[in-house]
Amino acid sequence: MAKPSSSRWLRIMSGFSSPSGDALLFFLAIFFFVSLLTHGISRISVLAAEFEGFDADDVEHEEEANEAFDPKFLKSSPLTPTSLTQTSFPESHHGPPPSSAAELPTDDASVSAEKPLASSAFELWDDEEFEGIPVHIADPTSESPSLASENPVGDGVGDGSAVNASNRQWRLSSYFIEILCISFLIIFIINYFIGKRQNELIALCWASQFATKDSIFDKNFSLLGTGDGKEDSPLLLKEGQDVFKFYASGRRYCQGLIATMELRSRHDLIARVMDLLLNKKDSITFGIVMNEDAMDHVVLAIARKKMARSMHKDAKDLHRFATVMATQSSGRRWVAEELMVVTESKEVAGDLMTDVVIDQVFGEKAFDKFGKGFISLHFTDQHPGSCKKLLLFKFALPHANNMVDLTRLITLVPYYIDLIGRYKLSIQARSKTEAPRAKAAQESLKEMQSARQEALQKRRAEKKRLIEEAEAKLSAEAVRRKEEKERARQMKKLGPKVRMLRSH
Amino acid sequence: MRETRETSSSTADPRQPPAVKPYAPPRILADELPFDYAGFLAVIFGITGLMFRYKICSWLAIIFVAKSLANMKNMENDLRQTFSAVS
Repeated sequence: MAKPSSSRWLRIMSGFSSPSGDALLFFLAIFFFVSLLTHGISRISVLAAEFEGFDADDVEHEEEANEAFDPKFLKSSPLTPTSLTQTSFPESHHGPPPSSAAELPTDDASVSAEKPLASSAFELWDDEEFEGIPVHIADPTSESPSLASENPVGDGVGDGSAVNASNRQWRLSSYFIEILCISFLIIFIINYFIGKRQNELIALCWASQFATKDSIFDKNFSLLGTGDGKEDSPLLLKEGQDVFKFYASGRRYCQGLIATMELRSRHDLIARVMDLLLNKKDSITFGIVMNEDAMDHVVLAIARKKMARSMHKDAKDLHRFATVMATQSSGRRWVAEELMVVTESKEVAGDLMTDVVIDQVFGEKAFDKFGKGFISLHFTDQHPGSCKKLLLFKFALPHANNMVDLTRLITLVPYYIDLIGRYKLSIQARSKTEAPRAKAAQESLKEMQSARQEALQKRRAEKKRLIEEAEAKLSAEAVRRKEEKERARQMKKLGPKVRMLRSH
Repeated sequence: MRETRETSSSTADPRQPPAVKPYAPPRILADELPFDYAGFLAVIFGITGLMFRYKICSWLAIIFVAKSLANMKNMENDLRQTFSAVS
């Protein structure tokens, strides 16, 4: 009785919905093992005993078996035992049927239901040969859970009743993706609030150090913050969980100052990991809009070498007007080695890099000490955009507890506002800088004119289209009116006859 | 050195209350907003998950939606718009 076992598997499998791909492979493995077992047993019994009337039945039922396997094996209704058991026997010698993806018989009820049916089928055949089979068939059910424990995919289960437990554990592990993703979401939400607080703490520490009463910005600007400027108005503007802005206005030479703090995205778990990998830093960018009469022809940028080169490429005004300045060999004190100066005019660069600044911040010694937070500096009066005259400072923000380290770099800001506000170019420098600017102004004018012309042409084309459409409509209407008039005339012709008749 | 004298001005109070200009937030058109990669990926994963019935794609879509919501900037009542869109 080689294939009552497989028949039972088939019935149970048919009452079971198909699981995922991994489970499928696992079940296949179990099925192959079991069928091998039963195959071995049947071989031994075949050799030992004699069959009678076996071959005739084989031929009739073999075809039925093939049909029965393919369409029906996944249906929920159980197949008739006799046909299956009879037809399964010839299959036993050919090995397990290829199309049947066996599934673990996890229902005890179905297993017990199969047994009496199987035993009735056994009676058709020689009992002696298949005596031990029900026991052996029961054993595989207990063996398969133990197999499950051996198998790396499955969970470890003990015996018979543990089949249900394996079923439950299977369901747990089959929800692996859900558990993983929900736990990730929970961690994400927790990290959101933690990161948000961390960023707010950094911004508030900066503001308390530099923007509160008697701080550097309070001494330099009369309006602090984006509100009314009264006591209670907030100093910082929160644009996102990682972007904070500080506005100050009311100073000589400049219209206003906007400090933008761009912090690491600590609130977003994925971005936090990416920032760790890419080594992103918290930074603060000061943008100062200068008054029209306060700034002369200055195009200057200072940064570390790599950064300076990328700035020279990217910034349109630097690219157009400025060149990289070679280190001065005049013996004069100059900026630190790791810094690169990109300037339109060497003279202007020399004038703006005063001794004070070099001693305090940009010189070799000072830069080693205080220059860690310095990222870049960019002065321009040809800024592409609405505000032409702009001073840009970019510094790295230190830790929340170490905000004091930024003090020396921040004092650069009002110092340079005053310096550039007062600075006037020499005649030679001015003559040099005039020519390229005149060119740039002409080109921009030409672009404006061409843009205007294009706009005009578009408007004219649209007007023409409208007129044509109107004419087309009118012509259609005119045709209709003509038709109506004709009908009216025809009616009139008929009309008077009627009247004549009436009068009679 | 072409710097002008006037050291006195550096010691004087640099503040000029009459020169105060109130804050004007820069107007950004809807077209120029920075591209929302997280939202885009969420849509792609969601569609993939639906079409091909991959569970992990649908879950990744939910994760990217959470990322997009977390990175929302408060530009003109975005939250209100998203809530109204969701509901």
